[in-house]
Amino acid sequence: MPEIKVQNGNMAAATGAALCRPDVIAAYPITPQTPVVEYLTQFKADGEIESTMSEVESELSAMSVVTGASLAGSRTFTATASQGLALMYEPYFRASTLRLPIVMAVVNREMISPQTLWGGPQDALCVRDAGWIQIYVEDNQEILDTIILAFRLAEDKGVLLPVNVCYDGFYLSHMSERVEVPDQASVDAFLPHYVPEHIKLDPIRPMSVDPLTNGYLLTEYRLRHTQGHQRALKLIDELDAEFANQFGRSYGGLVEEYCNTDSDAVLVTMGSMTGVAREAVDLARARGRKIGLLKLRAVRPFPGARVVKAIAGRKAFGVVDRSVSFGWGTGITFQEIRSAMYGEGSNIPAVPMIGGLGGEDVTIEHMMLAIDCIYKAVESGLSNETVWLNKEIDIM
Amino acid sequence: MKYISDYIVPIGPEGLYIIDTGKWRTRRPEMDIVKCKKCGTCFLYCPVHAVKRHEDKSYTIDYTYCKGCGICANECRFDSIEMIPEEGDSDA
Amino acid sequence: MNIYEKLAMQEEMISPGISACVGCNVELTIRTVMRVLGPNTILAIPPGCMGGVGVVGWDKKSGSKTPVFFPLLDNVASMLAGIKLYYEHIGQKVNVVAFAGDGASADAGLQCLSGAAERGDKILYICYDNEGYMNTGYQRSGTTTKGAWTSTTPVSRQGCGGKKQDKKDFPMIMAMHDIPYMATCNPAFIKDMVDKVEKAMAVEDGLAFLYVYNPCLTGWGIQSDKSIESARAAVDSNFAPLYEVIDGTFKLNYQPKEIIPVKNFVSYCKKFSHLNDLEIENLQQQTDSKWHRLQMLCEMG
Repeated sequence: MPEIKVQNGNMAAATGAALCRPDVIAAYPITPQTPVVEYLTQFKADGEIESTMSEVESELSAMSVVTGASLAGSRTFTATASQGLALMYEPYFRASTLRLPIVMAVVNREMISPQTLWGGPQDALCVRDAGWIQIYVEDNQEILDTIILAFRLAEDKGVLLPVNVCYDGFYLSHMSERVEVPDQASVDAFLPHYVPEHIKLDPIRPMSVDPLTNGYLLTEYRLRHTQGHQRALKLIDELDAEFANQFGRSYGGLVEEYCNTDSDAVLVTMGSMTGVAREAVDLARARGRKIGLLKLRAVRPFPGARVVKAIAGRKAFGVVDRSVSFGWGTGITFQEIRSAMYGEGSNIPAVPMIGGLGGEDVTIEHMMLAIDCIYKAVESGLSNETVWLNKEIDIM
Repeated sequence: MKYISDYIVPIGPEGLYIIDTGKWRTRRPEMDIVKCKKCGTCFLYCPVHAVKRHEDKSYTIDYTYCKGCGICANECRFDSIEMIPEEGDSDA
Repeated sequence: MNIYEKLAMQEEMISPGISACVGCNVELTIRTVMRVLGPNTILAIPPGCMGGVGVVGWDKKSGSKTPVFFPLLDNVASMLAGIKLYYEHIGQKVNVVAFAGDGASADAGLQCLSGAAERGDKILYICYDNEGYMNTGYQRSGTTTKGAWTSTTPVSRQGCGGKKQDKKDFPMIMAMHDIPYMATCNPAFIKDMVDKVEKAMAVEDGLAFLYVYNPCLTGWGIQSDKSIESARAAVDSNFAPLYEVIDGTFKLNYQPKEIIPVKNFVSYCKKFSHLNDLEIENLQQQTDSKWHRLQMLCEMG
């Protein structure tokens, strides 16, 4: 029987991970992820999990221990945030190119400098081309559920890719919500045992792992890697349906649309700010605007087809990003969305918006302003310069 | 699409990668079995393990991978190994 | 059983043809060590000489009969720790071994190694110190001896230069982690090396560390036939002494019958050929004071 609990995001992540029975866990504390490590070590101390834990001395070591264990055949879990993710970039990249089905929670935090601790997906978005699957979630229930889904997705024989489950630091990690925790038996039924066949360091079946490799072979490995992502595109939607069937909760798969069937313009968000966006969309609709909401979940693999389907035929779309793509001067997911719209929707006016950096709140007012900007584009038929929401409305 | 490899990841499960290092040498060690006192020093120090120990405790040099470094000749305490120019007849 | 019988009856684990330099004593070391470790071994070879010469293989082939892989330069010990933790988790015994150069151990990889030593991860870490990043063209490392020519501490046309800083005393640093077993080795002392590998394999309560001093023929400018002779000179001059630290107790393994001057060891290596008398005297003094410190530590019991 599932249990209803009050959990903050970090506890939801730790609970989700524990239910998946990882063999080896190694994580290094960093704000706002630290409680994840603490909760897991407490579970172990209390005998609630059987995982072997390693108290590593940095994130470089955390990802190294976890990739080593995965190469030996282990199911593994780890977690980090911003600076930690940056520090582990070397072993992070090869976790995906060695096709190791590791699941890592990233408690999204703004990158230093300036000195900052607060939430935002700049950290994980900056490494989106390192080959991992990346899914960004909206609330604590989704954190727990997506971690379970992540192991199932990662270990699928057609995917075999590591997965980042990303959630906003402080907004989710340190905020408590009602969370339904599935029972162990249900999770065991959903998640079969992991048996690696494609790569293993084991004297019973000796092989060299990662020998010096010529370009013609590297090309093939990269090609096969992209095929793993292609498979994941399908599987993320399929697994969402299976999960809904077994546990009663659906998140839409690669993306979720809200009030979008009859919309004439679309607001695109990602992460915890989607909650505010839903409220704003309800308010705008009550005032007669037919705005729809597109919540981006998977950034890698990028759900191009589903994004096009959600936005095509509308009169404008706007993306509120909690990140910056330096050099473009827009947010990062704006670039991804606009790129997906090339072709079928390339004449639809696009409004890039940036808000909520460094822990600044994205409020109802900001979202209403975002919707206003989108409708200005509907009227003018033209794309916009980047709107910096927090500069437009100074709530201090 | 045709693939050169069946593997989806960089692994090397198809046996040993062996370089023909015997072709490198410009000189070869020649052992005088009369002077050889079977002390085993050359056996311990050959970096490619070309010196083989036999059941009767004697030692011979297998030239297949010998690079001609001269360690065996230099370390031999009984002057029983001499480095001579490699003339190319590697079947000796 | 004597050392000759022992080594002869054990199977060669490394590919017979690897592109190590002619006379390379690191090749001798890895072949010897792997004969002792045997097939139930998972071997980590970071970027460096042994990786470069083909011990991890090329394309679809391997350089070892045992499982072998390339960790990154900076995470050897941590990757091995992860492997070992999983095998302990499932109750399967296996040797988990690093064969890493000084770059991967004392410089870029020091953090992970230090962490693994402190946590007591049950791995066998073998560091071969050829005093530089030799595979990539002889760049200096933290364990390069003071005054040595390297490609990043070159000697001027006027004959001055070389590394300005002292050699990091890496085996001592590892001994101070209070690991169960630390030992220094030398390719000129094979029986001593084999004994130490066996002792290291038997360690069950933490990290075992072996430090091998390997004069690099190409990087230091040593004649190939003098490969073992120069290594022996390093020991006989007390420059690279042979000692063990077992659960914190220091033990000297070899006392030279006749201590030779450091100058003799230095004379084998072209990388020192520009040193003046004062610089060589400085090396002698450093060697003497380190030897004295080692003797005091051994006397402590």
